[in-house]
Amino acid sequence: MPGVHPRTAYLFIAPFLAVFAVFTLWPMLFNLWLAFRDYFPQTGNSMWNGFAHFVELADSERFGHALKNSLIFLLLVPPLQVGALALALLVHARLPGIGFFRALYYLPVVIAVSIAAVVWQQVLRFDGLFNWFLESIHLIGFGEQPDWLGDRQLALYAVMAFSFWKNVGYYMVLYLAGLQTVPREPLEAAQIDGADAWQRLRHVVLPALQPVILLGTLLSTIQALKAFQEVIVLTGGAADTQTALVFVYGVAFFGHNFGLAATAGLIVTLVCLALAAVQLRFFGENGLLRRGG
Amino acid sequence: MNRELVLTLPLVSPHTYLLRRQARDAVLALPRYAALLLFGAFTVFPFWWAAAVALSGDGSQIWTFPAAFLPHDPGWRWFGRVFHEMPFWRYFANSLLIATATTALVLLLTIPCAYALSRMAFRGRQALFMLLLATLMVPAEVAIVPNFITCSRLGLLDSYAGVVLPNVAGAFGVFLMRQAFQDTPAEVLDAARVDGAGEFGVMWRVAVPMAKPMIATLAVFTFVAAWNDYLWPAVVLKERLNMPLAVGIFNDLTGPFAVSTNLVMAAIVLSVIPVVGAFALTQRVFLGGGGLVRPRPSCSR
Repeated sequence: MPGVHPRTAYLFIAPFLAVFAVFTLWPMLFNLWLAFRDYFPQTGNSMWNGFAHFVELADSERFGHALKNSLIFLLLVPPLQVGALALALLVHARLPGIGFFRALYYLPVVIAVSIAAVVWQQVLRFDGLFNWFLESIHLIGFGEQPDWLGDRQLALYAVMAFSFWKNVGYYMVLYLAGLQTVPREPLEAAQIDGADAWQRLRHVVLPALQPVILLGTLLSTIQALKAFQEVIVLTGGAADTQTALVFVYGVAFFGHNFGLAATAGLIVTLVCLALAAVQLRFFGENGLLRRGG
Repeated sequence: MNRELVLTLPLVSPHTYLLRRQARDAVLALPRYAALLLFGAFTVFPFWWAAAVALSGDGSQIWTFPAAFLPHDPGWRWFGRVFHEMPFWRYFANSLLIATATTALVLLLTIPCAYALSRMAFRGRQALFMLLLATLMVPAEVAIVPNFITCSRLGLLDSYAGVVLPNVAGAFGVFLMRQAFQDTPAEVLDAARVDGAGEFGVMWRVAVPMAKPMIATLAVFTFVAAWNDYLWPAVVLKERLNMPLAVGIFNDLTGPFAVSTNLVMAAIVLSVIPVVGAFALTQRVFLGGGGLVRPRPSCSR
């Protein structure tokens, strides 16, 4: 640009870059470095250990379990997307009071995960509200209430239900923005041609929404692989709910093995980067969707 | 549907006609409202129940299914005990301080950087952009361990600076503001330059006012995220009285303090009220998407 010295640009960027380098860039590089070393938190000393952490993780039953749980968390993706799309279609109409419902459905997104979790812990307790509800509609008998957050078979799914409740509003807004870009003409043409609501959805709206569906799916896929805070605040990782990042956190702050934690973190990072590469391939400047493919 | 039918209008006043049409639309919309309310119940039942329990002086009914949703022997007693047994206002002030400081610093650092990225030519611009893009893809949770080590080396553990600093320079805000500055017409900026304004003046007096909606969006999102942040403050802070609400309340409520569910729920309700109030005031920012949730994330150069 004319008349603007590059030095000015660097001055504008420097403050951001300094903090960014220390707290975002450095952690990534440090994590990479740490993954190949034994680190002693007391002294701050460290030692190269080759691929020992990787070998340890490969043999670790706990890490394998945590990875498996992270993958099970992916089961959350389809209900989250279908639910969000259904909600978006529901609140897309111009009706009195519709803004209230949009805000209502978004509310869990803006509540702190820890605060929401305390309520859900009470709801899902062995003698909690949810079991009373199931009993009152005779879905379960007296004395056979499941312990939703303590049962190894159930706890992970209970956490996923919480995650659905917490996040579905976010994806709803995503789809709502997408619905606003659906062209009106083909919709009206389809209506005149006698297409019913389902046919219009199937043949006009869904194709137009395809980029949003893909974006939502990929975002929630990455989010599911990163599942972490929900688990920490609801079960603390008990009852077989450890996910990969919960494993990282536990190994670092309770096992004090920063090197091993960094290695597990690196593996999660690589998986997320691979997914992001897929995402960029679809959404980037030369992405498949831009070329109409 | 057909507006020509309005020709029969003179029989009724336009106002009555409008009312009738609204009534007809409302009847047609009944199934939709039923669905809206049903899902609304799913969204809101934890808060509703928490409020009912918090207001119940009689704690015997709080688990029975339909009865629990109405307060029994209603009163404010439990709220009083929250203030009495928990440093609620201290937590609240901590949250306010942390969220305000984070928001101010984010704006201070992000705006000039995004402005330079979108409005100035310099070596390494493309590289910096790609670097920012790359960090968006890596799970931020991975940075917790290294940042903990950094903060302990810098002596920032158990300090507000340690809570705030790692969250003030993220790629996300830069992308958002860069978008806004790119939409500013070049002629306006050039006119200011011709008038002799320095580059900082151009940004501050011309570009920033024009980007106000996006700046507000960034501010609201940052504030809410900082207010709700649980994990990082929990890792950095040791001293109970330094905790923000999201951490302090959670620790107190899941620890030995949790003697009575009524008390727990009263504390929950108190901590949710400011969030709900702030959300009600700013919900346009969230629901409008504010450019954050564009159908296609803009990766254009």
